[in-house]
Amino acid sequence: MNIKASFFLARTTILRGNKGTLAMTILIMTLAYVNLIFISSIFGGIVEAINEQSINNLYGNIVITPASDEIYIKNRDAINSIDTIPGIVASSAHYLNNAVISYDENNDGRDIQRGKWLVKSVDVEDESRVTQISNSIIEGAYLDDSDRNNIVVGKEIAGGHGGELEHLSLGGVYVGDDIDVQFNNGTKRTYNIKGIFSTKNSQADQMAFITTKEMESVLRVHNLASEIIVKIDEKGQEEKYITQIRQSGLHDEDIKTWEDLTGFTSSASKSFTMISIILGVIGIIVAGITIFIIIFVSIVNKRKQIGILKAIGMKENTIILSFVMQAIFYAVIGIILGISIVLFIIRPFFINNPLDFPVGWVSLKITFNIIKISNISLIIAALIGGFIPAFRGTRESILDTIWG
Amino acid sequence: MIIEVKKLKKTYEGKVPTYALKDVSFGVKKGEFVALMGRSGSGKSTLLHQLGLLDAPSSGEIIIDGTNVVNFTKKQKTEFRLKKLGYVFQSYALLPELTALESVYLPLMLSGISKTEYIKKATKMLKKVGLGERINHLPKEMSGGEQQRVAIARALINDPAILFADEPTANLDTKSSETVLALFKSLNREIGQTIIMVTHEPDDKKHVDRVVWLKDGVIESEDAK
Repeated sequence: MNIKASFFLARTTILRGNKGTLAMTILIMTLAYVNLIFISSIFGGIVEAINEQSINNLYGNIVITPASDEIYIKNRDAINSIDTIPGIVASSAHYLNNAVISYDENNDGRDIQRGKWLVKSVDVEDESRVTQISNSIIEGAYLDDSDRNNIVVGKEIAGGHGGELEHLSLGGVYVGDDIDVQFNNGTKRTYNIKGIFSTKNSQADQMAFITTKEMESVLRVHNLASEIIVKIDEKGQEEKYITQIRQSGLHDEDIKTWEDLTGFTSSASKSFTMISIILGVIGIIVAGITIFIIIFVSIVNKRKQIGILKAIGMKENTIILSFVMQAIFYAVIGIILGISIVLFIIRPFFINNPLDFPVGWVSLKITFNIIKISNISLIIAALIGGFIPAFRGTRESILDTIWG
Repeated sequence: MIIEVKKLKKTYEGKVPTYALKDVSFGVKKGEFVALMGRSGSGKSTLLHQLGLLDAPSSGEIIIDGTNVVNFTKKQKTEFRLKKLGYVFQSYALLPELTALESVYLPLMLSGISKTEYIKKATKMLKKVGLGERINHLPKEMSGGEQQRVAIARALINDPAILFADEPTANLDTKSSETVLALFKSLNREIGQTIIMVTHEPDDKKHVDRVVWLKDGVIESEDAK
């Protein structure tokens, strides 16, 4: 094999061949590459949105619940030390109570709407550093720590705000309305609706919030927690922080990551990941076949020239390599142009105009891994797509190729 | 003898086998200019292809420069074609993307010669065939005669033992044909280049040392000057 001669032939063919064909070939490669990145990134973005919804509205990154034989987490010193662990952004302690919430619109004891929902208590400042619920108010306002007879409810409880479970809601309550809450210890209190929130997570929208002080007075407890959710600064490092949290004194508590707790959303994100992989593989095959066709057509047009090259003593491997080099050139230029289009046009567009999906606002999630896999895939597709037709073309006899 | 052909046969298999060459034996001396002539289908081009290792005979021997080349592997044939043989085809057979200079130095590049040397040698060869002013021209910028002279320069660049020409003037006008044949003749006279040429043109006989006439796959007669 003579690499210098292969490079020479590939270079002259690219530089002096038909410019229109070259431009079309590069355009096809660029679009094939953009397609690869786009599909992987948009599905990555959907999975990211699903995961972010769970983290931002339900679980944080880490959820601590009491030991199996306990109702509450009691080691208050350990709880207080969680926030001092470097890398932990904040933690928020909740009391949880499955309560019956009812609404008597006409105050006449007839046509009362009721349902059973999860009521959580929050320390407002801590909670706002861990979840985004306080930023998702669509009507009224979020709680203050001084609030005692106020409640904030999700749109799926309130009803009348475009929820998915309207038939199970209170049928349409608004800020200023009074609702009755019967806690699972039998205590019944009336609260004034201070705010209604809407996230893109229907599980979160089926929760109601009161202040910690109010819940402690209902449950007659002090300085305990039913769960603690923890936000860390680097998603993916949860296990490392779980170890540190245990070392701080929470030895017997049940500590899980957000991924452990996302049942439906986890399977949904796995499905999207699977679809992304399938479409990615199809994209690679299409790109490979495209390169194959381009090189195949090029070889059909250069059949006679291949015969001439063989006749003057050029080895078949040298000829094949020159075609493979051309294919790789098309792929590399396609990658460079494609990545420029993705990073400088498509990505900024989606950052400014995210897609409104039921699972959340979806933008492109372009990772180094997606780029690396797409680059390697396209180069391999180019290698195979260039090699096979070149190999077949050079296997023909010299007489057949020159005189057909 | 630079070429000795012994009982050469070439049969194209099929439902009805075609016997293109039937028991051909002849020889070519070093420095000889030989024309293979005959009607269409006589077997002259088939014989040239066998001698030039572009095709494999069904049986027989071809001894070039003392070596029986019939049983060469594909790789050996490629190497032999590069180093010992040169070809000029009817349809110029130039690569459209290569300039005259690049077309001529390509075989030298394949031989592993340095860039400075192959450019120098190719330029000299193009001057020799009268194309010193056209070295950077692409085939589409040259006439048919000029393209054929580029092909001749390419064929000669590795100092081949034998130059094969397959109807080199068939696509050329009279003037260009005369130029090409005069070039062959001068190469034969001046540097003793062995040339085997297939031709249809009766006028070409005057340029060659010997004519081998083929008919129906056998040598019918030989005319020597």
